Amino acid sequence: MTALRWAVLVLFALLFNAPLIATLSTSFKPPGEIMGNPGLWVNSPTLANYAAVLTVSDRLNVYAHLWNSLAAATIGAVLPLLLCLPAAYAVARRGWGQRVFLPLVVNLRAIPLIIFALPLYLMYQVLHLLDTRLGLGLILAVVNLPLTMAILVNAVADIPLEIDEAAAMDGARAGRVLRRIVLPLCRPALVTAFIFGFITAWNEFLFGLMLTTSKAVPMTVGASFFFASGGAGVQWGVAAAVIVVAALPPVVLGLLMYRQIARAMMAGAVKG
Amino acid sequence: MTPRTETRILATPLVLFLLALLGFPTILNLVYSLSEVSFETLRAPRIEGFGNFADVLGDGAFWGSLWFSLRFGALTAVAEVALGLFLAVFLSPILRRHSWLLAILTLPMMVAPAMMGLMYRLVLHEFVGPLPHYLFAWFGSSPAFLGPANVFRTVVVIEVLQWTPFALLLFHLAYEAIPGEIREAARMDGAKGWRMFRKVEFPMLLPTFGVALAIRFIDGVRVFDIIYVLTGSGAGGSTMSLPIYIYTSFFKGGDIGKALAASVLFAAASFLLLALAWRFIGRRRPA
Repeated sequence: MTALRWAVLVLFALLFNAPLIATLSTSFKPPGEIMGNPGLWVNSPTLANYAAVLTVSDRLNVYAHLWNSLAAATIGAVLPLLLCLPAAYAVARRGWGQRVFLPLVVNLRAIPLIIFALPLYLMYQVLHLLDTRLGLGLILAVVNLPLTMAILVNAVADIPLEIDEAAAMDGARAGRVLRRIVLPLCRPALVTAFIFGFITAWNEFLFGLMLTTSKAVPMTVGASFFFASGGAGVQWGVAAAVIVVAALPPVVLGLLMYRQIARAMMAGAVKG
Repeated sequence: MTPRTETRILATPLVLFLLALLGFPTILNLVYSLSEVSFETLRAPRIEGFGNFADVLGDGAFWGSLWFSLRFGALTAVAEVALGLFLAVFLSPILRRHSWLLAILTLPMMVAPAMMGLMYRLVLHEFVGPLPHYLFAWFGSSPAFLGPANVFRTVVVIEVLQWTPFALLLFHLAYEAIPGEIREAARMDGAKGWRMFRKVEFPMLLPTFGVALAIRFIDGVRVFDIIYVLTGSGAGGSTMSLPIYIYTSFFKGGDIGKALAASVLFAAASFLLLALAWRFIGRRRPA
């Protein structure tokens, strides 16, 4: 029975990760080998594809895309923390907004965001936020709000009441309590929310596709452009390397921070 | 400053942010969906009533995309939850001892769906893709995975392979959270194996069952990235999900009013679905 369990585990681990394995393998094949040997084994591995990706050309400037993704995803992950921590304190400690506001924010996760994408496009056009990292970051922050809010409301509610009550007795204002007591005690929750938010924001595609055109195009969208512009002559080795570079940061972060991710998922599922 | 004022001040930044980024767009949605408008007359929409809604509701492609999204959402949600539950329970003796294996099993969730789609374009490619290569080598033929006859099945399988880990993770956490005493007590009463699962453990997993099903269904209905990069809207609109329909009417069709009317309808349908989902799960959260 144990052997069967291991067999099932290995089978599904391979099946789930098969596209990653295949793409990694292709990214190490020289151009000559790709057509002749489509299998997973690489006969004469090369780093030439990665060298091509890391060289700026008129088809692809990988550094620009990476910088756009990094900047937009950072805004998209940090801004919700700044907005939600005080609000979470108001909800968890002052009983504010529990009937309407909190359910509204948390359930945003279930609303298809494309319904906001079109009016945002029109709005951004007027505000000159189209094709900017800031504009993209702002909407990615919206994407991350529901889960951040759920995580932080839980975290504040878990702080023993006596701790901040004692501070309030001493006459400390909410702002001070928040900075001196709530913020340090919520640090693990903030880290969890940040990591999950960063991964979500990096992986987002729809808003990057709609709200950017050239200057602020994020890595995911840039990789898809690279594919599309290739037409019949896609250089598969280089294309595979582009995908690997685009997919790698969240994957590495996910592997390193696996426990935090699981906790974030759980918060979203229980409170969502 | 009274505590009440203080509380309001704490919540104000978030409220303002939401009003600006979601409230205002919602109003734009409503106004433009009722207007005759084009990219040239953006700042001066002319209210004309429900014409756009009539256009959408009279468009066969809209109903086709709605049907696609519902079917896709239902099929993928059921498959992911069933497979995820099986794996979580069957593999639990191993995962309990080697929890790092969960990181490997849930790795696909960290990959951007759009990148996953691009990876499958490579995997399924008839000349350079490993899958057709091996199928040819072993069976002498390989189906056209993205051809009209198979494309629906293909995208369903891809979505299931990427998101079963989500259900697996939820069930794993819920399964491990079942108190040991409960299993112990049931064992005393002679329950074991399948009976133990069906009578004791499964009922305790039911809330997770509902949540996983609801989340995966909603995510399936609004699928965009993976289909966009894999097939566009597909041969003859065969893989046009609702978001793809809205996207193409706006950017390719240039029909702003119609696209916005479609997204208002989508929003209304989502709220309805959400209300139903929470009733189905049987508890009104949060916190």
